[in-house]
Amino acid sequence: MFHLNISIFSKTKSLENKIDLFHDKLLDAAMSFKKAVKVFLNEGRSDDYRKISKQIKQIEHDADNLRRDIENKLYSQNLIPDLRADVLQLVENLDRVINKFDEVAYMFFIEQPEIPQEYHNRINELCDQVAECAENMAKASRAFFRDLSSVRDYSQKVYFIEHETDLSSGNLRKSIFESDIPLANKMQLSSFINQIADIADIAEDFIDELLIFTIKRDI
Amino acid sequence: MDLTFFLFLSSGLFLGWSLGANDASNIFGTAVGTKMVKFRTATIISSLFIILGAVYAGSGASQTLGHLGSINTLPGAFMAALAAAITIFWMVELSMPISTSQAIVGAIIGWNLFSSKPTDITILSQIVGTWIFCPILSGIIAVFIYWSIKSIIRKSHLHLIRQDCYTRIGLIIAGAFGAYALGANNIANVMGVFVEANPLKEIHFGSFFYLNSTQVLFFIGGVAISIGVGTYSKKVMDTIGNGIMKMSPLMAWVVVVSQSIVLFLFASQGLQHFLLSHDLPALPLVPVSSSQAVIGAVMGIGIAKGGHDLNWGLIAKIAIGWITTPIIAALICYVSLFFLQNVFGQVVYI
Repeated sequence: MFHLNISIFSKTKSLENKIDLFHDKLLDAAMSFKKAVKVFLNEGRSDDYRKISKQIKQIEHDADNLRRDIENKLYSQNLIPDLRADVLQLVENLDRVINKFDEVAYMFFIEQPEIPQEYHNRINELCDQVAECAENMAKASRAFFRDLSSVRDYSQKVYFIEHETDLSSGNLRKSIFESDIPLANKMQLSSFINQIADIADIAEDFIDELLIFTIKRDI
Repeated sequence: MDLTFFLFLSSGLFLGWSLGANDASNIFGTAVGTKMVKFRTATIISSLFIILGAVYAGSGASQTLGHLGSINTLPGAFMAALAAAITIFWMVELSMPISTSQAIVGAIIGWNLFSSKPTDITILSQIVGTWIFCPILSGIIAVFIYWSIKSIIRKSHLHLIRQDCYTRIGLIIAGAFGAYALGANNIANVMGVFVEANPLKEIHFGSFFYLNSTQVLFFIGGVAISIGVGTYSKKVMDTIGNGIMKMSPLMAWVVVVSQSIVLFLFASQGLQHFLLSHDLPALPLVPVSSSQAVIGAVMGIGIAKGGHDLNWGLIAKIAIGWITTPIIAALICYVSLFFLQNVFGQVVYI
């Protein structure tokens, strides 16, 4: 019996760690993405950029493995039967954001867009915003598992930053289309900005769901 | 041992079986329905603890029924238990919240009327008062536990996965306590009417451990309840877990604990002695309905959560049951005793 209890607690602890680790991956992805764009804007597709881009790919790969492991353990050990579907959805959606960071970083690598110097600061600012949005999303999600009362605080931050991101990306696209650069470049830059801003939109959708799940989780 | 005894006991055993099939779901229903606890685990734990509760703590509530009417022949006891069983079957058909306690009390009154024995009104009013008080008390306890557990969870910052693990262990412990309390409180419904006419002998296991004749009777009743749990409760548990009352496992834990405390309060002689010896008001030892205790607890939590209106329809059904169940059981018992005595020539009272 004693052995059984120890085994139950150790399994539980291991899964808790994996969920924490998964959230860490999102934070890592957000920070690396911010850094990657800064490096790209300064140096283009340099060795440093390749290195950071690889790092993001590795984070995405590790996150995928963790996600599968978490999903597998939740089902095979029949844990949280009433909230399992919700938790699986949350994990899937967190993974979507990590995938998006990787996807956009890879787009920079492949397409190597020519970005005029005048937009560098504003693109950096936009990337900082989406990274902050993702960070707060990770904090809100972590709070769902440990501290329900904080979920709302972080969610509110996500909503606020997402709104700021919309404004920033809108203004940036407007000034790009008002500029004299060729239309093909305009289209390409606009697409990049849309892709970056999408990260904040995914975070917002995630928070919408998280708040509903929080009501369900509150006893 | 006389075989006729078991023939007459069969109605009580049937009553025990149906009680096990129905009431075990109040203890482990959500846990099994939501797959937090395996049915096999639930069956083993509830069977064991129902028998323990019945044998070691079943006499208190049973004595109260004895004071209401001490049925002194086996055919009389047989018919009282059968009348209760028929009433329960009928009430289930009418979708009323079933209470074995109310049916058996009605049957005893039917026997009292038939045998022209007086019914102790003080005891009767005490019993009826308890029925009304039971869901209310269960609701109050549930609210208290709900608020406490909510505050503990908020402050402890327990991880969801860890909380799930504790809930699972809590459901098993609460289930064991609930089964013990159910056995202690409700064995009186199943075997209470046979106590006076019980021909069983005490059994010795070595020099230290023995069961007196009533405990042997309660053991048999406990086994009947356990068979009910093992053979028929899964269907009811699945219905409870997935249908009628959809609750989270943690809520289910609150409900099971509240219900178990109420059943224990109305069954424990030890607690009664303790309260009386400290000049505190003690609760009467009366068999109460676990289903109604559950309904009380669920409604209590509903009110505590706010935004939930009281289900007046369900309350009305319970209140109607307090009156109709005993009356129907008394009538069936009275008429059946007449047939048993005059058609089958059995001595139904002395």
